[in-house]
Amino acid sequence: MVKTVTEDTVREALRAVMDPEIPTCSITDLGVVHDVRITSEKIEIDLLPTFAGCPALDVIREDVEAAIRKLTSDADLRVRFVNDPPWTTDRISVGGREALGAYGITPPVLLGIGRKEARTCPYCGSEQTIEESAFGPTPCRTVHYCSSCRNPFEGFKTKTASPPQDAAAS
Amino acid sequence: MSDPRLSLLFALADDELILGHRLSEWTGWVPYIEEDLALSSIAQDEIAHARMLLDILSVIDGRVPDALALGRAPGEYRNAVLCELPNTDFAFTLARHWLYDNADDVRLRALQGSSFKELREAVAIFLLEERYHLEHADAWFHRLADGPVDARHRFADALGAAIGEAVALFEPIENEGALVSDGVMPRSSEDLLGEWLGRIGGMLDEAGFDQVLGARREPSTGEMVPTSTGEMEAKEAGDVLEPPDVKRIDGRWVHTDEFRGSGGRRGKHSDHFEPLWSEMTALYRAHPGARW
Repeated sequence: MVKTVTEDTVREALRAVMDPEIPTCSITDLGVVHDVRITSEKIEIDLLPTFAGCPALDVIREDVEAAIRKLTSDADLRVRFVNDPPWTTDRISVGGREALGAYGITPPVLLGIGRKEARTCPYCGSEQTIEESAFGPTPCRTVHYCSSCRNPFEGFKTKTASPPQDAAAS
Repeated sequence: MSDPRLSLLFALADDELILGHRLSEWTGWVPYIEEDLALSSIAQDEIAHARMLLDILSVIDGRVPDALALGRAPGEYRNAVLCELPNTDFAFTLARHWLYDNADDVRLRALQGSSFKELREAVAIFLLEERYHLEHADAWFHRLADGPVDARHRFADALGAAIGEAVALFEPIENEGALVSDGVMPRSSEDLLGEWLGRIGGMLDEAGFDQVLGARREPSTGEMVPTSTGEMEAKEAGDVLEPPDVKRIDGRWVHTDEFRGSGGRRGKHSDHFEPLWSEMTALYRAHPGARW
């Protein structure tokens, strides 16, 4: 193993790998990086798939491999997706939530707290918004409408084990 | 004897693969854009779930996932016949969607307790995503049930057309006895069917759709075809499941009969399967091993 490669340098490199469809947000901030193991023989990186149907997963794996190859070209590198634990939107960091907002996608409801419709409009900041559809242009996005400034906007789909209550149930 | 887990994995994967393929036929044709995105997204999720199951299967079976998805003969697919039926119209698509996603929710919740680790992990992920399918299906159920008379009637007719094959989603899996005793299936198909009937029966009753489950359907006699002498006679009915008996006992809907004949779980499909299979596998058969 090349001496300069440590878990810290690998994690630092992973912080620079951006989500292919949300270029303001790193896969580390999205909570996709689950585990990094470095031994004298190999570097193993376990990633968590965000949504099963996300077509960007292969690109993420290739980007991770390319980022690590810049640190060491000859290491035995194993990058794989694992299903345990399930990825949820609660894994997105505070920085990641801000990065989503900066790209115009309102962050998901956190830990299932609050109504699913309660999204803040990225244009005018109003909370008078409704969820128009749980299905947006990608598996991870929802479509919302702001009743104040009357603009449609996108949200990151909440994926959590403690689902938000709808208005009728809360 | 082959690993009994294979029959369960093929049943689950093929339901998602074939229904996902059917739903994808709506892409670009749904009456409005939000619903086009919804059905297309659901199709994408279902096919992705099939892929995760085929990844697990691949380790046991030895064939690669693409070969499992696209390289099998029609009789090797184990999806329920419900999933392969043509979309027909928007009413039938939504009726099937509601019946299927409620059934899928019942069986996935049961499989959360499976002794089969890889399956249990996949199921945890499916449930997080299928929640949106179920919400979508239930929202349409209420919207159409409360809707104008024409919408209500068409939806009720579509539910009636789909209900027989929907019950057959719970036709026992091959080797089910071994799967249940090993804890791979924490509950039997018959047990799950009872829960599902209770759930959808309650919603149907509440919506005033109790005729959907209560209606008696005549067993299929087969299509009328001309003989060599020009007379018409009934073609022998195919070896498919007849609508099973569902009765209301003490206010609860229960399945009172055995599954007769054999259906999708045994590789016996309707005439609608082969055209679907032919289209779905055309590229793979023309160029085996092709990659994107």
